[in-house]
Amino acid sequence: MGEYQLRIDPAGLPRATILFVPPLFEEANRTRRTLVLAMRALAAEGFAALLPDLPGQNESPVPLVEADLTRWRDALAEIAHGIDGPLIVASLRGGALIDHAAKAATWWRLAPASGASLLRTLLRARVSADREAGIASSLDSLQTEAASAPLLLAGNLLSPTMIAELAAAEAQPVEPLRSVALGAEGIAGTPLWLRAEPGEDTGMAQAIAADIAAWSRSCGII
Amino acid sequence: MGAGTQGFCALGARARLKDMLVTDTPATAVDATLRALLADVLGLGEARAAALTADSGLFGELPEFDSMAVATVLTEMEDRLGILIDDDEVDGEIFETYGNLLAFSVRKVAG
Repeated sequence: MGEYQLRIDPAGLPRATILFVPPLFEEANRTRRTLVLAMRALAAEGFAALLPDLPGQNESPVPLVEADLTRWRDALAEIAHGIDGPLIVASLRGGALIDHAAKAATWWRLAPASGASLLRTLLRARVSADREAGIASSLDSLQTEAASAPLLLAGNLLSPTMIAELAAAEAQPVEPLRSVALGAEGIAGTPLWLRAEPGEDTGMAQAIAADIAAWSRSCGII
Repeated sequence: MGAGTQGFCALGARARLKDMLVTDTPATAVDATLRALLADVLGLGEARAAALTADSGLFGELPEFDSMAVATVLTEMEDRLGILIDDDEVDGEIFETYGNLLAFSVRKVAG
Protein backbone atom coordinates (compact mmCIF):
# COMPACT_ATOMS: atom_id res chain seq x y z
CA MET A 1 0.00 0.00 0.00
CA GLY A 2 3.03 2.25 0.36
CA GLU A 3 1.89 4.16 3.45
CA TYR A 4 4.24 4.59 6.39
CA GLN A 5 3.18 3.89 9.91
CA LEU A 6 4.88 4.73 13.14
CA ARG A 7 5.03 1.69 15.41
CA ILE A 8 6.38 1.60 18.96
CA ASP A 9 6.81 -1.88 20.40
CA PRO A 10 7.09 -2.89 24.04
CA ALA A 11 10.09 -4.82 25.34
CA GLY A 12 8.39 -8.24 25.26
CA LEU A 13 5.35 -9.62 23.47
CA PRO A 14 2.64 -6.95 23.28
CA ARG A 15 -0.44 -7.53 25.48
CA ALA A 16 -2.53 -5.74 22.87
CA THR A 17 -2.09 -3.31 20.00
CA ILE A 18 -3.40 0.25 20.16
CA LEU A 19 -4.21 1.57 16.70
CA PHE A 20 -4.28 5.36 16.88
CA VAL A 21 -6.45 7.22 14.40
CA PRO A 22 -5.11 10.77 14.33
CA PRO A 23 -7.17 13.95 14.01
CA LEU A 24 -7.64 15.16 10.43
CA PHE A 25 -5.75 17.81 8.44
CA GLU A 26 -3.84 20.46 10.41
CA GLU A 27 -5.16 19.10 13.73
CA ALA A 28 -3.02 15.99 13.13
CA ASN A 29 0.17 18.07 13.10
CA ARG A 30 -0.81 19.97 16.22
CA THR A 31 -1.35 16.78 18.22
CA ARG A 32 1.24 14.41 16.74
CA ARG A 33 4.01 15.06 19.22
CA THR A 34 1.78 14.55 22.26
CA LEU A 35 0.22 11.47 20.65
CA VAL A 36 3.65 9.93 20.13
CA LEU A 37 4.51 10.65 23.79
CA ALA A 38 1.34 8.72 24.72
CA MET A 39 2.44 5.87 22.44
CA ARG A 40 5.81 5.67 24.21
CA ALA A 41 4.05 5.58 27.57
CA LEU A 42 1.78 2.77 26.34
CA ALA A 43 4.77 0.79 25.06
CA ALA A 44 6.29 1.08 28.53
CA GLU A 45 3.08 -0.54 29.84
CA GLY A 46 3.42 -3.48 27.46
CA PHE A 47 1.26 -2.31 24.55
CA ALA A 48 2.27 -2.04 20.92
CA ALA A 49 1.21 1.37 19.61
CA LEU A 50 0.61 2.11 15.96
CA LEU A 51 0.07 5.48 14.24
CA PRO A 52 -0.58 5.02 10.52
CA ASP A 53 -0.42 7.70 7.83
CA LEU A 54 -3.83 8.06 6.22
CA PRO A 55 -3.68 8.24 2.39
CA GLY A 56 -3.04 11.88 1.52
CA GLN A 57 -1.89 12.85 5.03
CA ASN A 58 1.55 13.25 6.61
CA GLU A 59 4.18 11.38 4.50
CA SER A 60 1.67 9.67 2.20
CA PRO A 61 2.55 9.33 -1.50
CA VAL A 62 -1.16 9.81 -2.34
CA PRO A 63 -2.25 13.35 -3.27
CA LEU A 64 -4.79 14.57 -0.71
CA VAL A 65 -7.29 15.44 -3.46
CA GLU A 66 -7.59 11.68 -4.19
CA ALA A 67 -8.56 10.88 -0.60
CA ASP A 68 -11.97 10.90 1.02
CA LEU A 69 -13.50 9.60 4.25
CA THR A 70 -14.53 6.29 2.67
CA ARG A 71 -10.98 5.65 1.51
CA TRP A 72 -9.62 6.50 4.98
CA ARG A 73 -12.17 4.26 6.67
CA ASP A 74 -11.26 1.37 4.35
CA ALA A 75 -7.52 1.93 4.80
CA LEU A 76 -7.95 1.69 8.59
CA ALA A 77 -10.06 -1.47 8.25
CA GLU A 78 -7.28 -3.03 6.20
CA ILE A 79 -4.59 -2.06 8.72
CA ALA A 80 -6.71 -3.48 11.55
CA HIS A 81 -7.20 -6.69 9.59
CA GLY A 82 -3.44 -7.22 9.43
CA ILE A 83 -2.90 -6.94 13.20
CA ASP A 84 -2.51 -10.10 15.31
CA GLY A 85 -3.84 -10.28 18.86
CA PRO A 86 -6.29 -8.01 20.68
CA LEU A 87 -6.76 -4.62 19.03
CA ILE A 88 -7.92 -1.37 20.59
CA VAL A 89 -8.77 1.48 18.23
CA ALA A 90 -8.05 4.89 19.78
CA SER A 91 -9.16 7.93 17.81
CA LEU A 92 -8.97 11.66 18.36
CA ARG A 93 -11.30 14.37 17.05
CA GLY A 94 -12.06 13.74 13.35
CA GLY A 95 -10.39 10.35 13.59
CA ALA A 96 -13.61 9.18 15.25
CA LEU A 97 -15.40 9.70 11.91
CA ILE A 98 -13.45 6.92 10.20
CA ASP A 99 -12.67 4.39 12.95
CA HIS A 100 -15.79 2.19 12.89
CA ALA A 101 -14.92 -0.20 10.04
CA ALA A 102 -11.71 -1.34 11.73
CA LYS A 103 -12.54 -4.58 13.52
CA ALA A 104 -11.42 -4.15 17.12
CA ALA A 105 -11.96 -5.64 20.57
CA THR A 106 -12.90 -2.18 21.81
CA TRP A 107 -12.85 1.50 20.86
CA TRP A 108 -11.65 4.63 22.66
CA ARG A 109 -12.40 8.17 21.47
CA LEU A 110 -11.06 11.51 22.69
CA ALA A 111 -13.07 14.67 22.00
CA PRO A 112 -14.79 13.34 18.86
CA ALA A 113 -15.64 16.11 16.39
CA SER A 114 -18.40 16.21 13.79
CA GLY A 115 -17.36 16.47 10.15
CA ALA A 116 -19.57 19.53 9.74
CA SER A 117 -17.73 21.45 12.44
CA LEU A 118 -14.29 20.53 11.01
CA LEU A 119 -15.46 21.58 7.55
CA ARG A 120 -16.88 24.87 8.84
CA THR A 121 -13.53 25.80 10.35
CA LEU A 122 -11.71 24.98 7.09
CA LEU A 123 -14.22 26.96 5.03
CA ARG A 124 -14.01 29.91 7.42
CA ALA A 125 -10.23 29.99 7.24
CA ARG A 126 -10.59 30.27 3.45
CA VAL A 127 -13.25 33.02 3.74
CA SER A 128 -11.03 34.89 6.16
CA ALA A 129 -7.93 34.55 3.95
CA ASP A 130 -9.98 35.55 0.88
CA ARG A 131 -11.20 38.65 2.68
CA GLU A 132 -7.64 39.70 3.51
CA ALA A 133 -6.82 39.25 -0.20
CA GLY A 134 -9.80 41.43 -1.17
CA ILE A 135 -11.85 38.51 -2.57
CA ALA A 136 -15.48 38.16 -1.50
CA SER A 137 -16.43 34.57 -0.65
CA SER A 138 -18.79 32.96 1.84
CA LEU A 139 -19.42 29.55 3.36
CA ASP A 140 -22.31 29.14 0.92
CA SER A 141 -20.46 30.24 -2.20
CA LEU A 142 -17.52 27.95 -1.37
CA GLN A 143 -19.80 24.98 -0.75
CA THR A 144 -21.53 25.55 -4.09
CA GLU A 145 -18.13 25.72 -5.76
CA ALA A 146 -17.10 22.52 -4.00
CA ALA A 147 -19.97 20.54 -5.50
CA SER A 148 -18.24 20.42 -8.88
CA ALA A 149 -14.52 21.08 -8.35
CA PRO A 150 -11.83 20.48 -5.72
CA LEU A 151 -11.45 23.28 -3.21
CA LEU A 152 -8.28 24.54 -1.54
CA LEU A 153 -9.05 25.02 2.16
CA ALA A 154 -6.30 26.17 4.51
CA GLY A 155 -3.70 24.43 2.35
CA ASN A 156 -5.74 21.25 1.85
CA LEU A 157 -6.96 20.49 -1.69
CA LEU A 158 -10.17 18.54 -1.04
CA SER A 159 -12.30 16.69 -3.60
CA PRO A 160 -16.06 17.25 -3.95
CA THR A 161 -16.59 13.76 -2.47
CA MET A 162 -14.42 14.55 0.56
CA ILE A 163 -16.26 17.82 1.19
CA ALA A 164 -19.69 16.21 0.81
CA GLU A 165 -18.70 13.35 3.12
CA LEU A 166 -17.28 15.73 5.72
CA ALA A 167 -20.43 17.85 5.70
CA ALA A 168 -22.49 14.81 6.71
CA ALA A 169 -20.04 12.79 8.81
CA GLU A 170 -20.80 11.92 12.44
CA ALA A 171 -18.96 9.43 14.65
CA GLN A 172 -20.71 6.09 14.21
CA PRO A 173 -21.86 3.92 17.10
CA VAL A 174 -19.40 1.16 18.01
CA GLU A 175 -19.30 -1.12 20.99
CA PRO A 176 -17.74 -1.34 23.48
CA LEU A 177 -16.77 2.32 23.39
CA ARG A 178 -15.27 4.75 25.87
CA SER A 179 -15.72 8.32 24.69
CA VAL A 180 -13.88 10.91 26.78
CA ALA A 181 -13.75 14.68 26.72
CA LEU A 182 -11.05 16.96 28.07
CA GLY A 183 -11.60 18.10 31.64
CA ALA A 184 -11.64 17.05 35.26
CA GLU A 185 -13.78 13.96 34.61
CA GLY A 186 -12.07 13.00 31.38
CA ILE A 187 -8.53 13.63 30.23
CA ALA A 188 -6.76 16.48 32.02
CA GLY A 189 -5.03 18.51 29.36
CA THR A 190 -5.23 21.20 26.72
CA PRO A 191 -7.00 21.00 23.34
CA LEU A 192 -3.76 21.13 21.38
CA TRP A 193 -5.69 20.43 18.17
CA LEU A 194 -7.14 23.95 18.34
CA ARG A 195 -3.85 25.67 19.02
CA ALA A 196 -2.70 28.30 16.55
CA GLU A 197 0.93 27.46 17.32
CA PRO A 198 2.34 23.98 17.99
CA GLY A 199 2.68 22.87 21.58
CA GLU A 200 3.05 19.70 23.60
CA ASP A 201 1.47 18.45 26.79
CA THR A 202 3.38 15.73 28.60
CA GLY A 203 0.78 15.42 31.33
CA MET A 204 -1.97 14.90 28.78
CA ALA A 205 0.10 12.23 27.01
CA GLN A 206 0.44 10.36 30.33
CA ALA A 207 -3.30 10.77 31.01
CA ILE A 208 -4.20 9.42 27.55
CA ALA A 209 -1.96 6.38 28.03
CA ALA A 210 -3.29 5.70 31.55
CA ASP A 211 -6.93 6.03 30.45
CA ILE A 212 -6.49 3.69 27.48
CA ALA A 213 -4.65 1.15 29.65
CA ALA A 214 -7.42 1.28 32.29
CA TRP A 215 -10.11 0.95 29.64
CA SER A 216 -8.28 -2.00 28.11
CA ARG A 217 -8.11 -3.73 31.51
CA SER A 218 -11.78 -3.08 32.17
CA CYS A 219 -12.53 -4.78 28.85
CA GLY A 220 -10.68 -7.86 30.04
CA ILE A 221 -7.64 -7.25 27.86
CA ILE A 222 -4.80 -7.95 30.26
CA MET B 1 -22.32 -5.69 24.64
CA GLY B 2 -20.86 -5.91 28.11
CA ALA B 3 -24.00 -5.23 30.15
CA GLY B 4 -24.11 -7.60 33.08
CA THR B 5 -20.68 -9.01 32.40
CA GLN B 6 -18.65 -8.43 35.53
CA GLY B 7 -15.82 -5.98 35.08
CA PHE B 8 -16.36 -5.84 31.35
CA CYS B 9 -15.53 -2.40 30.00
CA ALA B 10 -16.94 -0.65 33.07
CA LEU B 11 -15.36 2.77 33.33
CA GLY B 12 -16.95 6.09 34.25
CA ALA B 13 -19.34 7.98 32.02
CA ARG B 14 -18.22 10.81 29.79
CA ALA B 15 -17.83 14.33 31.10
CA ARG B 16 -19.45 17.33 29.46
CA LEU B 17 -17.77 20.71 29.81
CA LYS B 18 -20.86 22.56 28.64
CA ASP B 19 -22.81 21.46 31.72
CA MET B 20 -20.76 23.82 33.89
CA LEU B 21 -22.42 26.86 32.37
CA VAL B 22 -25.92 26.34 33.67
CA THR B 23 -25.66 27.88 37.13
CA ASP B 24 -23.87 31.14 36.26
CA THR B 25 -25.54 34.29 34.95
CA PRO B 26 -25.40 34.35 31.15
CA ALA B 27 -22.89 37.20 30.85
CA THR B 28 -20.49 35.75 33.44
CA ALA B 29 -20.73 32.30 31.90
CA VAL B 30 -20.13 33.66 28.40
CA ASP B 31 -17.15 35.66 29.67
CA ALA B 32 -15.61 32.59 31.33
CA THR B 33 -16.26 30.42 28.28
CA LEU B 34 -14.76 33.01 25.95
CA ARG B 35 -11.59 33.46 28.03
CA ALA B 36 -11.08 29.69 28.23
CA LEU B 37 -11.66 29.40 24.50
CA LEU B 38 -9.11 32.09 23.62
CA ALA B 39 -6.62 30.51 26.01
CA ASP B 40 -7.15 27.15 24.26
CA VAL B 41 -6.89 28.42 20.70
CA LEU B 42 -4.17 31.04 21.16
CA GLY B 43 -2.22 29.20 23.84
CA LEU B 44 -2.43 32.27 26.07
CA GLY B 45 -2.18 30.51 29.41
CA GLU B 46 -4.59 31.19 32.23
CA ALA B 47 -2.88 34.37 33.46
CA ARG B 48 -2.89 36.14 30.08
CA ALA B 49 -6.48 35.04 29.41
CA ALA B 50 -7.62 36.32 32.81
CA ALA B 51 -5.84 39.64 32.23
CA LEU B 52 -7.85 40.43 29.07
CA THR B 53 -9.92 43.60 29.48
CA ALA B 54 -12.68 45.06 27.31
CA ASP B 55 -10.03 47.20 25.57
CA SER B 56 -7.54 44.39 24.92
CA GLY B 57 -6.83 44.15 21.20
CA LEU B 58 -7.26 40.77 19.49
CA PHE B 59 -6.92 40.43 15.70
CA GLY B 60 -3.91 42.39 14.52
CA GLU B 61 -2.63 42.80 18.06
CA LEU B 62 -2.07 39.26 19.30
CA PRO B 63 0.48 37.63 16.95
CA GLU B 64 -1.16 34.21 17.40
CA PHE B 65 -4.49 35.50 16.09
CA ASP B 66 -4.23 34.69 12.36
CA SER B 67 -7.03 33.81 9.92
CA MET B 68 -6.93 30.11 10.86
CA ALA B 69 -7.26 31.09 14.53
CA VAL B 70 -10.24 33.32 13.70
CA ALA B 71 -11.89 30.36 11.96
CA THR B 72 -11.19 28.06 14.91
CA VAL B 73 -12.50 30.61 17.42
CA LEU B 74 -15.76 31.04 15.49
CA THR B 75 -16.45 27.29 15.29
CA GLU B 76 -15.57 26.79 18.96
CA MET B 77 -17.85 29.70 19.92
CA GLU B 78 -20.68 27.92 18.09
CA ASP B 79 -19.95 24.60 19.81
CA ARG B 80 -19.36 25.91 23.33
CA LEU B 81 -22.00 28.65 23.42
CA GLY B 82 -24.59 26.72 21.43
CA ILE B 83 -25.03 29.48 18.83
CA LEU B 84 -24.84 29.74 15.03
CA ILE B 85 -22.80 32.51 13.45
CA ASP B 86 -23.51 33.68 9.89
CA ASP B 87 -20.83 34.99 7.53
CA ASP B 88 -22.37 38.44 7.34
CA GLU B 89 -22.27 38.82 11.13
CA VAL B 90 -18.50 38.46 11.07
CA ASP B 91 -16.76 41.71 10.36
CA GLY B 92 -13.39 43.03 11.47
CA GLU B 93 -15.03 44.85 14.34
CA ILE B 94 -15.99 41.88 16.50
CA PHE B 95 -12.36 40.73 16.68
CA GLU B 96 -10.98 44.20 17.28
CA THR B 97 -11.16 44.01 21.07
CA TYR B 98 -12.09 41.49 23.71
CA GLY B 99 -14.98 43.75 24.76
CA ASN B 100 -16.45 43.66 21.23
CA LEU B 101 -16.18 39.88 21.05
CA LEU B 102 -17.82 39.49 24.47
CA ALA B 103 -20.66 41.87 23.62
CA PHE B 104 -21.28 40.02 20.34
CA SER B 105 -21.29 36.65 22.13
CA VAL B 106 -23.64 37.78 24.91
CA ARG B 107 -26.01 39.18 22.26
CA LYS B 108 -25.95 35.91 20.31
CA VAL B 109 -26.52 33.76 23.39
CA ALA B 110 -29.47 35.93 24.41
CA GLY B 111 -30.84 35.24 20.90
